[in-house]
Amino acid sequence: MKKHSIASALVATVALCGAGAAQAQVAGQVMVKLGWNKIMPKVRSTELSAPALPGSTIDIKSASALFFTAAYMITDDISVEVLGGLPYKHDIIGTGSVQGVGKIGSIHQISPTVLLQYRFMPADAPFRPYIGAGPTFAKFYGSRGSAALTAFTNPGGPPTTIGGDTEWGATTEVGMSYKIDKHWFVDAALLKTFINTKAQLSTGQTTKARLNPVAINASIGYAF
Amino acid sequence: MKKFHVLTTALAAAVFLAGCGGNEAGDQKPRVAFTSMVSFGDSLSDVGTYAVGAVAAQGGGHYSINGKGATGLLWINWTEFLSATLGLTQPCAAETGLNTIQAVVGAPPVPATFHDASAGGTCTNYAQGGARVTNPVGPGNALLFNAAVPSTYSNAIGQLTVPVQTQIANYLAHNGGKFTSDQLVTVFAGGNDVFINVATFQATVGAGGDPTAAATAAVTAMAQAGTEEAAYVNSQVLANGATHVVVVNLPDVSLTPFAVSSGAQGQALVKSMTQAFNSALQAGLTPSANLVVVDAFTASEDQATNKLQYGLTDVSTPTCTSSSSLVCTANTLIPAVAPAASGTAATAANTYEYADSVHPTPYGYRLLAELVSEQLAIKGWL
Repeated sequence: MKKHSIASALVATVALCGAGAAQAQVAGQVMVKLGWNKIMPKVRSTELSAPALPGSTIDIKSASALFFTAAYMITDDISVEVLGGLPYKHDIIGTGSVQGVGKIGSIHQISPTVLLQYRFMPADAPFRPYIGAGPTFAKFYGSRGSAALTAFTNPGGPPTTIGGDTEWGATTEVGMSYKIDKHWFVDAALLKTFINTKAQLSTGQTTKARLNPVAINASIGYAF
Repeated sequence: MKKFHVLTTALAAAVFLAGCGGNEAGDQKPRVAFTSMVSFGDSLSDVGTYAVGAVAAQGGGHYSINGKGATGLLWINWTEFLSATLGLTQPCAAETGLNTIQAVVGAPPVPATFHDASAGGTCTNYAQGGARVTNPVGPGNALLFNAAVPSTYSNAIGQLTVPVQTQIANYLAHNGGKFTSDQLVTVFAGGNDVFINVATFQATVGAGGDPTAAATAAVTAMAQAGTEEAAYVNSQVLANGATHVVVVNLPDVSLTPFAVSSGAQGQALVKSMTQAFNSALQAGLTPSANLVVVDAFTASEDQATNKLQYGLTDVSTPTCTSSSSLVCTANTLIPAVAPAASGTAATAANTYEYADSVHPTPYGYRLLAELVSEQLAIKGWL
């Protein structure tokens, strides 16, 4: 519940701080966004290490969640933006020789990102495309296993659990914002993150997965 | 300041949400709620048919390294690993007994006794060491004992060797002629047909018979056994209400220490026999949504080729000093895998495939259970 109260506090902050007469996206300005982000991992995993049935690989399914950002205009064109949001819960499914087993578990992740952005067009233009790049920190936690995972990694033994590493990656983005009025704008962005992780099972096997997710988001923003 | 406050709030929220949450087991219930497992077959599925009399006296009963936890693993036979992972009570032998020849073994016989529904019991593992598909006399049967031939003396232990055909008939006779939809039924046999037909081949050739004709006869006999097993699964198991049936084909018997010791020609014959059995079995089984065929043959070859991927280091040396693993315990292991101290687990045996010349170690059985589990999961039953 605390997560929700933080999110609602942020929404409240967005709503209450609406004084001032700044133009959109000029140097020194702060902007916040709230929206929906979908992360689509493009997984290529290595085979589960020994001892394991050969050819056991995994895929990680897409997940969506509420996200928010805060950006600061350093100049009229250059901004720095912080992305945060609610946790994403991804299903993990078996592939390779375990293709067809379906869902073998799930894992939560949160991946705060800082982006240095360049915005095209004049500061007061209604339509401003932008590009950005910066580091992503991904934390994987709160995984759940399944009967199937236990059965083909340690049949009859204690339930197998999944551990994920915390990882650093790099994110690039292209996006655009459209000014509705002095304060409000809508925004959409496409992000590509380059990141690898290593999942470790409680039974000792590991798999290295190249995640390299693509994310798309749409949001509504407010400029102070 | 207000702007700065918004920024720091967002940052703090992002960091906070990166929070915590442990990794947990998740839902461990299989997708099908099985209530029992019924097994038919031979020593590879036997969980204690002969754990009586002279065998029990030596701490035996499983065809592997006996003694729960002897190697540090929770279970010994693959049916036990599988039962545990399905959340079922452990399997027990539906029939026990030994037709021991007392004059040879020095222990009395133990009458055959049922422990299944016919005796008010709940044991549903009908698999018996030495059992063939159809022929009632398999390896270890006292009828194969010949006082004039020392090599037959191991049969004096008197295994019951009730064949798969009769095992299924016994189940049906004791359970109203029906299987139920909440049972997992496993069928895994054929190995003893290999051994008996190899013995016949050797006897024929030893008596001056034509090796080619004898080899052909052995392969033909295996195809016949495969066809028969398929027919029993079709007409006696699937046709009598079983909706979750697992048939495990024969692992590559030519890779066992037993076959390897017979030389390249012997290995080639055993491989042909194994393949003939599996081909006939596969061809004879009526495709059914209620049936999963597990390809242990391919898996066994892969285990031998890529042993390290399976956590194995040795796929050729038996860990037991006894010729049959039926009476093998932690006290009768080769020095390389013997427990470091009395009462500790022989964990080194968990990198060996074979307990004796044909039977797996508990770890080898676990690998089979993983293979079967994987196929059940793909099928959507687990």
